[in-house]
Amino acid sequence: MKNTPGWQAIEQWLAAKDLKPFTFQEEAWEYYLQGRSGLVNAPTGFGKTFSLFLGAVIRWINEEPEYRSKKHNGLQLLWVTPLRALAKDIGRAMEEALHELHIPWKVGIRSGDTTLAVREQQKKQMPEVLIITPESIHILLSQKGYAERFAGLHTIVVDEWHELLGSKRGVMVELGLSRLRGLNKGLQTWGISATIGNLEEALDVLMGNTSRQTAIVRADVHKAIDVQCILPDEIEKYPWAGHLGIKLLHKALPVIMESNTTLLFTNTRSQSEIWYQQILKACPELAGAIALHHGSIDAELRIWVEEALHTGTLKLVVCTSSLDLGVDFRPVDTVIQVGSPKGVARFLQRAGRSGHRPDAVSKIWFLPTHSLELVEAAALKDAMKANMIESRMPVIMAYDVLLQYLMTLGVSDGFESNEIWQEVKGTFCFRDLTTDEWQWIISFLTTGGEALQSYDEFHKLHKVGDTYHCVSKQQAMRHRLHIGTIVSDAMLKVRFLTGGYIGVIEEYFISRLTAGDSFSLGGQNLEFVMIKDMTVLVRKSKSKKSIVPSWGGGRMPLSSNLGKMLRRKFHEAMAGTAQEEEILVLQPIFDLQQLLSHIPKEDELLMEQIETQDGYHLFVYPFEGRLVHEVMATLLAWRISQQHPITFSIAMNDYGFELLSDQPIPLDDTNAQEYFSLENLTIDLQRSVNATEMARRKFRDIAVIAGLIFQGFPGKAKANRHLQSSASLLFNVFNDYDSQNILLRQAFNEAFFYQMEEARLRESMDRIYHNKIVITFPQRLTPFCFPIKVDSLREQLTSEKLEDRIKKMTLFTYE
Amino acid sequence: MSLEDTAFEFKGQHWRLSAGRAIYWEEEKALIVADLHVGKSAHFRKAGIAVPANIVQEDLYRLQQLITKYHPEKVLIVGDMFHSSANNEVQYFKIWRRQFAHIAFELIEGNHDILEPALYEDLQINLHQVLSLRNFYFVHDREDKPSVLEGHYLISGHIHPGIRMVGAGRQSLRLPCFYFGIEGAVLPAFSGFTGLYSLHPEADSAVFVIAEKKIFRIFQ
Repeated sequence: MKNTPGWQAIEQWLAAKDLKPFTFQEEAWEYYLQGRSGLVNAPTGFGKTFSLFLGAVIRWINEEPEYRSKKHNGLQLLWVTPLRALAKDIGRAMEEALHELHIPWKVGIRSGDTTLAVREQQKKQMPEVLIITPESIHILLSQKGYAERFAGLHTIVVDEWHELLGSKRGVMVELGLSRLRGLNKGLQTWGISATIGNLEEALDVLMGNTSRQTAIVRADVHKAIDVQCILPDEIEKYPWAGHLGIKLLHKALPVIMESNTTLLFTNTRSQSEIWYQQILKACPELAGAIALHHGSIDAELRIWVEEALHTGTLKLVVCTSSLDLGVDFRPVDTVIQVGSPKGVARFLQRAGRSGHRPDAVSKIWFLPTHSLELVEAAALKDAMKANMIESRMPVIMAYDVLLQYLMTLGVSDGFESNEIWQEVKGTFCFRDLTTDEWQWIISFLTTGGEALQSYDEFHKLHKVGDTYHCVSKQQAMRHRLHIGTIVSDAMLKVRFLTGGYIGVIEEYFISRLTAGDSFSLGGQNLEFVMIKDMTVLVRKSKSKKSIVPSWGGGRMPLSSNLGKMLRRKFHEAMAGTAQEEEILVLQPIFDLQQLLSHIPKEDELLMEQIETQDGYHLFVYPFEGRLVHEVMATLLAWRISQQHPITFSIAMNDYGFELLSDQPIPLDDTNAQEYFSLENLTIDLQRSVNATEMARRKFRDIAVIAGLIFQGFPGKAKANRHLQSSASLLFNVFNDYDSQNILLRQAFNEAFFYQMEEARLRESMDRIYHNKIVITFPQRLTPFCFPIKVDSLREQLTSEKLEDRIKKMTLFTYE
Repeated sequence: MSLEDTAFEFKGQHWRLSAGRAIYWEEEKALIVADLHVGKSAHFRKAGIAVPANIVQEDLYRLQQLITKYHPEKVLIVGDMFHSSANNEVQYFKIWRRQFAHIAFELIEGNHDILEPALYEDLQINLHQVLSLRNFYFVHDREDKPSVLEGHYLISGHIHPGIRMVGAGRQSLRLPCFYFGIEGAVLPAFSGFTGLYSLHPEADSAVFVIAEKKIFRIFQ
């Protein structure tokens, strides 16, 4: 292939800039030109875009002798990217290359930000290269005559595939690909992925059941990473629980001052707002050189920060995962990670955001937000050394996304059941879909489901001949507006009275404010004036005190890799064999734990029974990570509740879990062991999930994605309130009247089985069953239990009769 | 197990508060309910949201049981009887209504009651904006109360009241309730297909929570 005119043209073009292709790029071009599909494994900033883009260009040059003059060739290459922000940068790089190579191809972008004018233009003439988000692929599929637009398409590249895999957006990609492959069996598919633990599986998911020769191309890149911990001077005075880390701010400042440009990552948006404010307070001289960047800040402001980062005019940017993806910022030489990143991959990715000069080392500092987090830091370092990178588990059986997709097809040109059934079955996500389930889904969309004979008046799709169509213009419009799988709580835009957007805030937060209250957003203190047209109007606040909003966001659980490492580290720490500085510093904490309670040995499970004002607590420490603990805690609570009418409040973190009750918990060394028995495990797990609200919570997102809950037309939210119904209501209704509902089943599965590896749970339960269980009765809260006790995310489980519970309760007093 | 009720003497009258979400007023021989929302699930189905139909059947069956238990002379519906425009559930109600031709149905109009007046006539339902009986004003939304109360006590629905309860061991529950405040009372929503709005009880108010088939007065 090297001797083809296309390849030669590329080599010459690069040579003119004193550049040569990287080995992995040549490998990728070779496989691509052979007609293979595959995966390129390369980190950002090392030429991954060109490893595939130029392959398509070479092919074009080889096939078209008139390549310098042929225009308007229709869509050739579809480039899928998860972030709209990335699209622009990629597009620019491609256009530059095309221009210098004298190829009159057009590069277009299609995302939520694309203007109406551009969309119309694309309708008339598709560019040769279209950079698109997964949602926009479905929007194109929702338009009449979509097949024509994709007529000449021969290659699809899915960029940042590791980022999309493992989420429902990945399922959207799979389904979109299945339809495009249905239109053109000869389609070539390539993915670009960062290193994850299951690259082969990632490729399988991307390929579905297409039979093509595939290849995985790995870029040979090794980055040196230097990890250091910022340690508290007096560990005894450092908080035992919490997530802010502000007490160590004064130690982060010298690191920031000595660096050129620093990125300070926090785990939540509120944390980033607080850190930004506190740093400005401590170092007012940084004003103008420090910026804030997170997902709820207005896009224009974020772009400003990104540009400033490129030009090196900022000393510090406080950010969240909002800066995880994207082009490299050359001036960044230091990264500070506040609080545990909960995963090796994320930690490495963030470390990789620094040190982009050749031969530079990526420097990352870890700042613990509570004392025990230092053990996590040590576990993280070990996991990194052992290269234990997490896998991204593909989502399976996402019925809600499938329902949305079928509606999308129904809204455009309609679909033929058998044809689409074959395509859908060919995806990884739905390969195990049964004909019964498919029938249920079609029924649900046409008559509302078979369980209810009286599903009169329900019409989403109509069968016309062999095809299913949506005939209601109103329903079609509503559907197109809500294509996507990102479900967020109602957010309102925040704008200055005098003009200028700042960002978005959750409706729930604003609903609790009155005019005159101050809150901070984007690092500014704002005074709430009023809400008009679904926009929050504010002015600059003169108040010194302001509330930092909180945004509802999931808690990041520790990855199972890190969980294993954590357990090992805790045991080393407790046995006194650990050498790391981070752990040695913790000695006084461990001494206190030993004094008040006990330090478990490798073959022991520690349980603490403590009585406080809140009630009777049982703390259990398996050190298996939050996800396993959530399941184990619920199971234990349920099993106890079967013996005895009792109500539990359940909390957990990555080290252990808590059961709290208003009555003494009937567990001691005579019966503790049997609660960890593997007998009847599966059925007990199912029953315990049913006893909590976990499935109900998962149902909300599922109901929105599947189109059951209408979130309102933008700007017209009030008019459609009559169709808004809380997901909880629907959950109740389905639970009571339609228990075979496939979406209910998905909710239960998502709540439990898909969130943890059942094999891992069995393994831990079995280990504990054969362990020695040590139960202590501390007179005070211990360092181990403290972080769990203060956790506010709680689950409830009860086996008591409602009336018995009410008799012990009182009315809640509002302040 | 049948629906429990509890006796409540209030403002000189005798009331039976039922866990079936209704009040039987002994002096007036009236069964009082609010927020039936007949047709809500059909309304959703028409918009393409698949909600099962059994809700209306269950709700009307419960109303039937209450009528059979108390033998009222009239049924007062304090608003939102029907959820929106005519649909099959309204037809179902028409047939159901025939069982109680001898009982007067008085509907105090709510924001959702938008059917044609002729239809109400056909269903033998008498319409009112506000209903005054003894010294009680029945109005759907308490915000629409008459400007001069003159010693009348308000009885309304609309908000689908719930109350929050807490207990040791960080327990918390939200339950539907009957709420008797200083100025007026709020009835729980009759229909199962409604949400709950948490009330902040005033001092000296009477609160009765509904727990499945039982009803409890909760003292502050």
